[in-house]
Order: sequence, then C-alpha cells, then structure tokens
Amino acid sequence: MIRTERKISLPAYKLAYAFCFVVILSLIRGISFSYEIGVAMEAPMAILASVFCADTYTQEITSRRFEIHRLYPMEKRIRSMILRMVVQEAVLFAFSGVGYGMFFLFQKPFSLYKSGQSTESELQMFLLFLVAMAVTLWFWGMLSNLLACLFRNMWIGIGCSIGLWIVTNSAFGENVFGRWNLFSYTFRNISDSQDFDWLYGKTFCLFLCVLLTMLVPKIMKKRG
Amino acid sequence: MSIKINDLTVTFKNKVTAIDHADLEIPKGVFGLLGENGAGKTTLMRVLTTVLAPTSGTVSMDGVLYCEANYPKIQRQIGYLPQEIDLYPGLTVWECLEYMGDLSGVPKEECRKRIQYYLEKTSLAEHRKKKMRQLSGGMKRRVGLVQALLNEPKFLIVDEPTTGLDPEERIRIRNLLVDFSENRTVLFSTHVVEDLAAVCNQLAVMKKGRFLYAGSMKELVRAARGHVWVCRLRDEVQAREIEKKYHISSKQLSEDGVQIRLISEEVPDIDCVSVEPTLEDAYIYISGQRDFR
Repeated sequence: MIRTERKISLPAYKLAYAFCFVVILSLIRGISFSYEIGVAMEAPMAILASVFCADTYTQEITSRRFEIHRLYPMEKRIRSMILRMVVQEAVLFAFSGVGYGMFFLFQKPFSLYKSGQSTESELQMFLLFLVAMAVTLWFWGMLSNLLACLFRNMWIGIGCSIGLWIVTNSAFGENVFGRWNLFSYTFRNISDSQDFDWLYGKTFCLFLCVLLTMLVPKIMKKRG
Repeated sequence: MSIKINDLTVTFKNKVTAIDHADLEIPKGVFGLLGENGAGKTTLMRVLTTVLAPTSGTVSMDGVLYCEANYPKIQRQIGYLPQEIDLYPGLTVWECLEYMGDLSGVPKEECRKRIQYYLEKTSLAEHRKKKMRQLSGGMKRRVGLVQALLNEPKFLIVDEPTTGLDPEERIRIRNLLVDFSENRTVLFSTHVVEDLAAVCNQLAVMKKGRFLYAGSMKELVRAARGHVWVCRLRDEVQAREIEKKYHISSKQLSEDGVQIRLISEEVPDIDCVSVEPTLEDAYIYISGQRDFR
C-alpha cells in the first residue's frame, strides 16, 4: 500500500515545487564556507515541510472522501496517514541532501577542513546536517498536518506553523529559548565545531515530534 | 436489516435545525428519500453514516443503537456514496478500489475478487487501468458505487447518485441500485422524482427537516387522487393568473393556447378535468398540502 500512498500524497506538482524550492534556495542563498550550508537550509526547509505536509489528510476533506473514510477502522486510517507522512518526509529528506550538494555545485564554498583550519570533515558536517534535518522536517511537517487536521483546513495548519516559525527563527526566539530553541542547529556557534549545545534543542524537537505523532489518533477520532 | 429513527433532531451550532423531531423506519430493499434542496436529506444521511451525531432522538440499526461505543460495529455494516466525491484522481480505477478495500478492512485476495466482480457488474472492467481523472461523471459514480459495496454492506446509502448524469447513465445507475439491493437495505436519496419512480416501492418525503410522508409509492399517488387537474387556457396572461392561485406541475404551450396541469385541494374555479396523478404530482401535493386552497 505504500506505493498507493506515495501516489496519493506525492503528486507531480508537489515534487516539482519542492525540487524547484531547493534549487532556487541553493542558487540565491549566499554562503562562503561549507559549514554555513546547514544554517542556510534548515529554516527554509522547515517552511517547505509545513506547506508540503499540510494537505496530508485535509485532501480527504476537500475532496469529501472523509465521509467514506469515517467508516473505515481507525487503525487503518491512522496507518494510512502515518504512511503518507513517512513518504513525504522521506522525499523532503532526500531533497535536503540533494540541496546540500547543490550548494557545493553552484557556490563552491570554501572548506576550512581542507585548508587545515578545522578538524570537522565535510562528511561529518553533512551527517550532522542530516540528523538535524530529519528532526526538523519531521517536526514541522507533522505540526502543520496535525493543525490542519484539528482545524480541518490546511491553510490554518500552514499559517499557525509559520507563526511558530517566525517566533522561533528570530533573535527573540534565540534569546528566549536559547539552546532549547527548535532551530538550535541554525543558531549554533558555527565557528566552534566542538559545540554540540544545539543537540538540546533538537532533542526537545524530537520529543515534540513523538508527542505530535501520538496525538494523531486522538485528533483523527475527534475531528473525523 | 431495518433502520429505526425515533424523534430525531439535528440542530447545528448556528441554531439551524436541519432535522426536526423525525420518525422513520427504513425496511429492506430500495427505499427512496425525496425532498427539495435543503430539506434535510443529506443531514439525515450524515447521521446514518455516523458523520454527524444527533442533537436528540435515537437511531438504531437492527436494534443496535447509534452511539459512540457502537459506531465501529455500525460502520462495518454501512456502504456510502456521498453526493459529491472526488476519488483519488491520480490512481487507476483498480488501484483506487484496491486501496479503499484495504482501508475498509477487506482481506487482499477477497478484495480483488470483489473488485473484479463489481467492475464486471458495472461494465467498468475494461476501464480498470484508466486513471480516475480520465473517467466521465457517470463512470466515476459507478466506481463510487463499487467502493461502497466492497465491504459487502448490509446498509447502502447513496446520496443523489444520478445528479448531473445523462439519461443513459442515470438509467444504468438506477438499475445497478436495484441489482445491488438484494439482501440489503438501500437508501436512495434524490430530488429527481422520476428516479425514485423507477426503482422504489417505499419512500419518504422530507421538507424542512420533517417527514411529510413515509410509506408506499402507490399510497402516495392515491393520496393525490382527485387533486390533479388539467385545463386549457386561452393565452399566457390567463396562465399567469392561474399560476398565482394554484400549484402548477406542468405547462405546455400549443397553437390554440396553454395547457396546464395544476394541483389543488378543492375543485378549481376554472374549466378543467380531473386526471390520474403521477408520482411527481403526488410529491408536489404532499409537499405543499398545507398551502393548497
């Protein structure tokens, strides 16, 4: 069934705009050093995840299929929604990786590791980026989907997510939440490769991801 | 399988009462639900499919009460084709049905057999590889009907399945409903009288959230007997005068004037002859009974 869920949740237009977003981002967001790529990508990719995943279930509402879906066993409905989230998040995750490569391709950033000024290799940086992105994409995708389900409107899901994005991805957010910020990876001290304080924020984000995932059945039951 | 509705009321948050203290019993076979737009038919269907909970009153299916605890049990017995539905446009007919069958909990092999059977029954077998977006309106409704039947429901609910279809497709859908009504209850909602006349023996007429009539079609027609008249008028001006006084069920222009068919509680005060009512006349008579002179 995962093939069918992929066809339902990943129509060509969504893949096209997500890919274009990543290409354009890697072209217009200027960077000088390779360690800046993660910072350049995290917050924009969170916005993309919010928009991309908001219609995961609300498409059943707009097409009026939800009236039929209500007749299906709850466990089947939850499985369907989780599968859709998984395939969408997997695509966004893959696009993040591709986008990282595109920054190298288009902007040819300077590598401190190659010049001997840093001990953190490019591969290490890329792997840490993937870890941070996996959590970020999961959180923002699930948040907008869940809010869209709750209010039965994908625009509210997107709007509320963007509201939180603005608060957390700002100087205010950085000052208030510190290392517990949802965008702790973006706000990390990039000049110090041994600073892993950002893991606090990502762990908190991961905790929220699990919490949001656990709320899926309750909201589906409540809001149909 | 029978559905009992007792003193059902549905009031929305905006204080609009869509169903007002309604009582009804739906027996086995095709049961028609007739009413103008906004009569409360769709709201009733949404209650029967457990999408909406009643504000007051009870609904039961074979003695099982509609309540949160019984919903899973009830939902397994229901097949539903909503009025407007857009089934997964990017999937093929087969994929769409297989997916919906899987969601409704039908085992894979059994589901495939049923899809094959119903696609042949609905003359869709040759279109199984077509994408849903490539199908005509009538074909989409037929696929919708098949998805509603995949879990072999005892209670099939179809909401205005013939709306917007060409005559050939309408007849096809009507015939399919009769075919599929064997050993199950089919609730067929429409505002097209002709469709009900073709498939149902029993029906209910709804208006403003209430049942004006529930019973056999013959009885409904019998009730209107002696209240339907045909008269020939000189011109359109006279016809307009008559229209102000009576309910007109049809009007035809001819070379020597205008022929109208009117419905009246009493003998009209113009030159006319009493005629045998059709189901449409009977529906107009019942729906407007209180307003007749």
